[in-house]
Amino acid sequence: MNQSLTQFAAASPHINIKADVLFHLGTIPVTNSMLLGLIGYALVIWALFSTARAAKTGRGNVVTKLVMMIYEMLLGTVEQVLGDKTLARRIAPLSISLFFIIIVNYWLGILPFVGPVTVGGVPLFRGLVADMNVTFAMAIISMVVVQIYAIKTHGFFGNLGRYFRNPITDPAGAFEGILELIAEISRLLALSLRLFGNVFAGEVLIIMVGFMTQYLAGIALLPFMIFELFIGSIQAYVFFMLTTVFIGLGMVSHGEHSDDTHADKQVVSTA
Amino acid sequence: MPTALTYVANTSAENSGLFESLGIDWKLLVLQSIAFLLLLWLLSKFVYPVLNKMIDTREAELEAGQKAAKEAQDEAARAEEKIKSLMRDAQKEASDIVMTAKTEATNMIAASEEKAKSSAERIVAEAQESIAKDVLAAKKALHNETIDLVALATEKVVGKTINAKVDKTLIKEALN
Repeated sequence: MNQSLTQFAAASPHINIKADVLFHLGTIPVTNSMLLGLIGYALVIWALFSTARAAKTGRGNVVTKLVMMIYEMLLGTVEQVLGDKTLARRIAPLSISLFFIIIVNYWLGILPFVGPVTVGGVPLFRGLVADMNVTFAMAIISMVVVQIYAIKTHGFFGNLGRYFRNPITDPAGAFEGILELIAEISRLLALSLRLFGNVFAGEVLIIMVGFMTQYLAGIALLPFMIFELFIGSIQAYVFFMLTTVFIGLGMVSHGEHSDDTHADKQVVSTA
Repeated sequence: MPTALTYVANTSAENSGLFESLGIDWKLLVLQSIAFLLLLWLLSKFVYPVLNKMIDTREAELEAGQKAAKEAQDEAARAEEKIKSLMRDAQKEASDIVMTAKTEATNMIAASEEKAKSSAERIVAEAQESIAKDVLAAKKALHNETIDLVALATEKVVGKTINAKVDKTLIKEALN
């Protein structure tokens, strides 16, 4: 690891806000984030399927026990936030999958071979969640699910009524509706940009510390990497929590909304 | 470092669109969405139901365990109450028995005392009667002896004996 870090430090810093395209499959570009993402997805599938097998057989190892413990904790949180066990069981797969995908790919992006290993001057690997396409896709899916559950609860027109009201009969409500619409869009952007920003900033931090410390990078980078592990878990939890909270907020009736928005702000400010 | 910053700046300048400068490509966006949804479907179909079932089973077992523990606790409390009640009854019974025994003993002692007393009184009465008889007999014997002695003394004083019959008559008169 030390040698790899030293090599990493000796190389000139390659900072790109976009994922680099390695090659094309037909018209579809294959990026370095997709390459590491494949490993990340495989790891998530392996860990969760192993946990499911361990749950069936009753024989597990440290990894499966840890995954099970995290799963239980997250499921409990979803149940607590939504306050309905049946609904929580329907929502939890999305939130928990997001958590596992984000945390695994965030941590993979910190590994020393991500960045220094290059092909034609382009890094072969890049953290999956350091790709705006991924964080944006995740945020879009989350917000679509928020809308689906809001429509299920309020009905199609009832849900539209949250955003569009008659300005003549209810001018304050109409203004509030516009604000609500803006809030929905800002939530979508905040979800994706917050995660991307944190991952990208973390990567830039590690690259710059490695570049500046050169041959001492092996020692200098370790605390930053440990810190990034911590940040990764926090960001995964924040994304998970916000998705759950937004779904919950989408389902509350208009009267209850103001109190919960405060809770939402608290979560966001904590993040 | 300046090279990197220049590169970033150039990239932003080259790509006029915000989405493009952030690297957002609709093809990749759709692809990543499909990949995530596929993973979500896979996990929702094969992993989460198993994990949920295990959690439910464990919760049910825990609830059953807690229920059994509560029942056992209640049963223990009931048994303890029963034991206490039995102990109270036993103590009361023992107390009654002791009380009865004491009363009986007191009665027996009283009866014995009464019996002993009457027996003693009887013995005393008998003894008194016997003594009285003895005294009477002794008195009689003494009387007779006195008569004889007096007669003898009188004979010696008088020097002659009138006769026994006269003596006796005289003595009796003298004594009376």
